[in-house]
Amino acid sequence: MTADTNSARSLPRPTASEAPVTALVGNPNVGKSVLFRNLTRRYVTVSNYPGTTVEIVRAKASEEVGDREIVDTPGLNDLAPRSDEARVTRELLESYPDSTVLQVADAKNLRRALFLTLQLAELRRPMVLVLNMWDELEERGGEIDVERLSTILGIPVVCTVAPTNTGTEELVAALDRARVPAIAPEPGTTAPSDVTRLDRVNDILAETWSISEPERASLGVKLGFWAMHPVKGLAVLSAILLAVFWLVGLFGAGTLVDALEVGIFEQRVSPASIAVADRLLPFPHEHFTEEVPFTLSLPISPAHEVVLRETSRLTVRPAYEISPSVELTGGESFRRLVHDFLVGPFGQVTMGLSYALAIVLPIVTVFFLVFSVLEDSGYFSRMSVMLNRVFRIMGLNGKAVLPMILGLGCTTMATMTTRVLESRKERIVTTMLLALAVPCSAQLGVLLALTAALSPGGALVWLGIMAGVILMVGWLTAKVFPGEGSEFILEIPPMRRPQPGNVLTKTYSRIEWYLKEVIPVFLVGTAVLFLLDSLGALTAIAHAAEPLVVGWLGLPAEMANALLVGFMRRDFGAVYVLDAATGAGAILSQHQILVAMVTITLFMPCFATLLMITKEHGRKTALGMVAFIFPFAVLIGGLVNKLGLWLGTT
Amino acid sequence: MAGDYLTCPMCGFEFARGDTLCAHGCPLGSMCRLVRCPSCQYEFPETPATVGMFRKLFKRRRSLPVAAGEARLPENVRAASELRPGERATVLCLGATATERHRTLTVFGVAPGAELTVVQQQPACVIKVGETELALDREIAREILVEPGERKARAPTVEQEQPTGF
Repeated sequence: MTADTNSARSLPRPTASEAPVTALVGNPNVGKSVLFRNLTRRYVTVSNYPGTTVEIVRAKASEEVGDREIVDTPGLNDLAPRSDEARVTRELLESYPDSTVLQVADAKNLRRALFLTLQLAELRRPMVLVLNMWDELEERGGEIDVERLSTILGIPVVCTVAPTNTGTEELVAALDRARVPAIAPEPGTTAPSDVTRLDRVNDILAETWSISEPERASLGVKLGFWAMHPVKGLAVLSAILLAVFWLVGLFGAGTLVDALEVGIFEQRVSPASIAVADRLLPFPHEHFTEEVPFTLSLPISPAHEVVLRETSRLTVRPAYEISPSVELTGGESFRRLVHDFLVGPFGQVTMGLSYALAIVLPIVTVFFLVFSVLEDSGYFSRMSVMLNRVFRIMGLNGKAVLPMILGLGCTTMATMTTRVLESRKERIVTTMLLALAVPCSAQLGVLLALTAALSPGGALVWLGIMAGVILMVGWLTAKVFPGEGSEFILEIPPMRRPQPGNVLTKTYSRIEWYLKEVIPVFLVGTAVLFLLDSLGALTAIAHAAEPLVVGWLGLPAEMANALLVGFMRRDFGAVYVLDAATGAGAILSQHQILVAMVTITLFMPCFATLLMITKEHGRKTALGMVAFIFPFAVLIGGLVNKLGLWLGTT
Repeated sequence: MAGDYLTCPMCGFEFARGDTLCAHGCPLGSMCRLVRCPSCQYEFPETPATVGMFRKLFKRRRSLPVAAGEARLPENVRAASELRPGERATVLCLGATATERHRTLTVFGVAPGAELTVVQQQPACVIKVGETELALDREIAREILVEPGERKARAPTVEQEQPTGF
């Protein structure tokens, strides 16, 4: 993630000759970064996606450790230069020929660590092996003969529990005793094959490792098992989806958005900023005031809620009137323009900021929090197992589940994580589906609010159309796009209780990334709308798009604006639809809401996503997708409209 | 592999591409797109790439002729996909020629001689090697041949490769 790897650039980069370099190398998710923090006292945010962070983080060691430079490398399973991580790590080790290698291992997964140890030994560098997560090994009844292991390998072996900083002192002491492993092959001999290495590993394991399996499986193990069971797994999946729907769709998009948008922005921030703008930019005008009701409630289902608090407040609105007898001077007209730019109906504060901070931010925050909890618990891998078959239809496999789910949070971010997929074909298909039919959380929240305005049957129809479109377009893209998908071999981490610190850090770094990405887009989008509105172009565009919007989609002409802002961001467009469907003077019928929902869900991905697609797959692919998505969205929306008319559901 | 096998449209005889009957010294040489069935001598063109693409678009992928191969497996050797959940087995071979897959599996600890426990078969095959749980496509599990039961003495060929270090 960009946000995570930024830390690499901001860290000081001492010259190579200053201090001896110690490189942390190890399998993914063994706690390298926590250890890095213990050794350097520097905080580095960590991402848990294999393959996305291939950047190197380095820092000077803390005083207790001594004059050393510590370098953290991406997690890797195999040192052979077949993956980016391995290439990066190899290049790094080559650029520091005198570096010490500090291999970090997950003590309960010694086999995989030793496989890497043997590969590292072939580099003939001084090494230390750290058996991290020692507590988890003991919990499982595992035992490692550390002394024997140290003798066989010919290097110091230290046990640590990184999160509690246990064993760090022993580790520091061991760093000075680092030696070239005794098992390293003589220089000049050819490297052994993978199978030979694995065989050696098994021999070492036989001498040093034992485990007594617990009589009864722990709850975590059972839960992990249920989550993949063909029947119970579906139950777990539905339960989790329901929980996510409630948290994000109902609580986040309902309660939190109401509180922020109406309770804070509409009732307080907007009137205050209007007052400030009026004071600084005086011109003769009178703002409308309106009684704005505000309900704080706890949702139970889309149609039921428990009302906690109900208030109403007389509020100044952005709309105003100028008495017809007043003639504005040049200065006053200019002040009026600036006033409108800031706090008018398309104002930076009253529309741009309030959309970004009051509607999008709460939804996204809740989503990322839920996502981080699920990610940290190890559930996503099990979800990949459950959905592997379905994804196979689209030429993908279970590994594409992660980007697709993340796409429900932020499509731009998800487009970036399609990098975890192995073949280009899979990356293209996933990007296509993300751009076309996976609504991001902001849009999803608004769409869910719309479904509340729709009958339950209509909501199901919408869900069915989306699922059908994803399957069909995925299937077609996979057929049309040449190349093979990759095979599904996925490691399944143990289910564990999510660590609050971990979850919060990850949520925070994602939100930070999101805000940096989104707020400028919202402000620019609002500015463009303002410009078009002041030039009178909005009406002209609405008029020009009339045949398409009114004739084909059967929507009121004003909805052209929703499509127009949809170009900026889909959720922006959806907010527009929501306003037209449920706001004051609702103008949409049930049938029209469905058509608008389908069209806006499938509509163009936001500008940031387009930029990301261009960056990841090139301009040609991005243009190709745009050329398909826009007509396709309008086509499907129109078909829903015509079908509805024909069936007489209007 | 399936791609190297042709089926005669006349008599339905299946034969390897190399077995095609062709006159030696034929001037067409590599330009020739015709193959001749060794059974009925009928000459036919190979399916051109474009036709193949259309076929792929509209037809289900033909299943590989694995069933015939499986029947010939020695007793007590089975595919990992046939094991029941909870059954333990020793890996004998990782199957066909997909070397990239072999590397990935080896890195995770799945290699000839490794012991695995099947966790489940549906909806995807999940095996456990040591403390690592791995989910696999059924197609991959079908090609991993195993011998059910605990680990036995290793094959002598592996013994020779023993390192001298310890």
